[in-house]
Amino acid sequence: MKTPARISRAVAAGVALALGLTLSACGGGSSDSAGGGDSDKIHVLVYGDAANKVEKQLVATFNKTSKVKAVLDTIPGADYQQKLQTIISTPQAPDIFFNWGGGSIKPFVDADLLLPLDDFIKEDPALKSSFLPSVFDSASVNGKPYGVPMRGTQPVLLFNNKKVLADAGVTPPKTWDDLIGAVKKLKAKGVTPIALGGGDQWPTLMWFEYLYDRVAGPKVFEKALGGDKSAWESAGSKKALGMIRELVDAGAFGTNYDSVKFTDQGSPTLLATGKAGFELMGSWEYSTQQDSHPAFAKKDLGYSSFPTVAGGTGDAGNLVGNTNNFYSVMKKTKHPEAVAAFLKLQYSDEFVKAQLGIGNLPTTTNTEKFLGASASPAYSKYQFDLVKKAPSFQLSWDQAYPQSASTPMHQAVQQFFNGGLDTDGFIKAMQALPTA
Amino acid sequence: MTTTVSKAAVVAERRPAKRGTGGVGRPGFAWALPATAFFVLFAVIPLVLVAVLSFTSWNGLGSPRFAGLDNWTKLFDDPVMLNSLWLSVLVTVLGVLVQTPLSILLGVWAAGRQRNRAILSAIYFVPLLLSATAVSVLWRTLLDPNFGVPSQAKWLFGDGNLLGMQSGAIGVLVFVGAWQFTPFHTLIYQGAARAIPQVLYQAAQIDGAGTVRQFFHITLPQLRNTMITSMILMVVGGLTTFDTVLILTQGGPGTDTTISAYYMYQKAFKSFDFGAGSAIALLLVVVATVISLVVVRVSGYDKMRSSVEGL
Repeated sequence: MKTPARISRAVAAGVALALGLTLSACGGGSSDSAGGGDSDKIHVLVYGDAANKVEKQLVATFNKTSKVKAVLDTIPGADYQQKLQTIISTPQAPDIFFNWGGGSIKPFVDADLLLPLDDFIKEDPALKSSFLPSVFDSASVNGKPYGVPMRGTQPVLLFNNKKVLADAGVTPPKTWDDLIGAVKKLKAKGVTPIALGGGDQWPTLMWFEYLYDRVAGPKVFEKALGGDKSAWESAGSKKALGMIRELVDAGAFGTNYDSVKFTDQGSPTLLATGKAGFELMGSWEYSTQQDSHPAFAKKDLGYSSFPTVAGGTGDAGNLVGNTNNFYSVMKKTKHPEAVAAFLKLQYSDEFVKAQLGIGNLPTTTNTEKFLGASASPAYSKYQFDLVKKAPSFQLSWDQAYPQSASTPMHQAVQQFFNGGLDTDGFIKAMQALPTA
Repeated sequence: MTTTVSKAAVVAERRPAKRGTGGVGRPGFAWALPATAFFVLFAVIPLVLVAVLSFTSWNGLGSPRFAGLDNWTKLFDDPVMLNSLWLSVLVTVLGVLVQTPLSILLGVWAAGRQRNRAILSAIYFVPLLLSATAVSVLWRTLLDPNFGVPSQAKWLFGDGNLLGMQSGAIGVLVFVGAWQFTPFHTLIYQGAARAIPQVLYQAAQIDGAGTVRQFFHITLPQLRNTMITSMILMVVGGLTTFDTVLILTQGGPGTDTTISAYYMYQKAFKSFDFGAGSAIALLLVVVATVISLVVVRVSGYDKMRSSVEGL
């Protein structure tokens, strides 16, 4: 059955209506709707939040010198991916758009909508060499580069409450055994050893990402993502799962973690108020705490990297998390030269300073020069060194896998934690995920 | 008040019309045209399109590919799907069981003439004015295990892991639904209770029936049709529960509260599998229709026995 594109859009509209949901058709703060109809403009579509300040500034800078003007469109909040998927194959599609790299753009690459950046890089090698390689590579699909880093890196770190740790005679753990020891001591003190926003599901996933890496190295997950489902049954995978089980059973997360969320400030508040000792969270924990518990963030918020596992093959310097956000380019853009010029701004000094100014940590090689100007220099420097030295920086699993896998993946990690799935059940659930 | 009701008007209220009344006083079909046009445009046509879409594979990019019965066979092999139907029915039934007695009692009480009744009723109807989203966010915050009500009432909530286990999470969903919609049904029952002719109560009093007996022998039977209307609304509302699940549980923990409407959303707008989402949507339409028909049949609603005296 061949359906012309016009019908399919009607169908799409019908689906949205019939499902009783409104695909919020708000174009956000955009001045005019994007569209290929503009012959002398390029449209840049980004996720609408506080960081738009920098994007606006860069667009203004670009427009000062460019004949082809750039227009910034934003989609606010959590609807971004849904809205993007709805417009990307229509005439309303932007020329350049924000994404999370990896799995978030794979369907678009498969649908032949995106422009590989090889030619741009040939023209301007700095477009690749100006960025930290571990970050740049996480927006490659099928071995071709499709994204240019455009915001800040967000590695996952083990945050702690210094005061709670000191009271219990605990230091930030260097090894897994240290962590288990710390959990026992904190539990004896009557605090929840580790705060976990299990209700959001993705914070739980972070424990899997790190343990798999520390026990078996980054290769196991890469194999699994590449479609080799036997990776989930490997000895390393089973060992990592056993250790997670051990940690949960030791009461590391308390008993009500699935009723707690990060997104409604539940788990960060546990840490800030001294009801918990640790929290494993993306680097945005720092700004979250600065906003809601400034005194705590200044005085007692500690951070360290994830502990090592004895006998594990993963490097102590390996990171997981969101490597960065990326700009990808639509194949059908009418102004490839203007787009290329716009992308060049993403490694300019102005860009780096502006991002640091709002608390983001850019991933350009020249970031180091400006770290002193950041909102919290010590923290920025610590993070940057980690990212720079990281032998491997694994994109969050739910971003690396295609979108269709994220719900079943989240369900499986949650069920493994609460005992709804045993090791074999979890392995089967992961093997059932679509990889391409 | 019943004496002024003309026979024609009473007949006009009956649907479906009794054959052979010759359509006396019945409005012509033209009156229904605008509503019908809207219904066709925004319900029937999308439904047909969804039916078409359920036989295709489509991720929202490009054109849908015909996939035959793929989505349907997958759906019936999917344990989550069957479980979601069961959960939908469970949430719906629990909702009806909790809300009906409450709203009847409150409605009958509110129909009376006690002092301060108006003020109390007004306060009580407040939840109805809030959006389901706001209500869900409110309860999510109230039920936070470490900083909300459970942390202050450990004797009742234990560790407060309400949303972290299936029974607790379903309990919360039913409770929040009831908290928000009981006032609405109360309003319906209040109106119906006020329409019961006083004559009946006066007669019962002369016969020596007490308040309780009056309630069971007069009020309840007279509220019968209202009950059916209210229950159908509850069933439809229960089966389409979505926003509370989205905000309170996201279908979790695991798939423990993934009811069909939410599962449909997950498939279509989280996994971008519009074919599967459409199939679930269609299945939900069928299930809801069947349940509504059963309610109508069992209750004798289709015979529409009039409660107006002498008819």
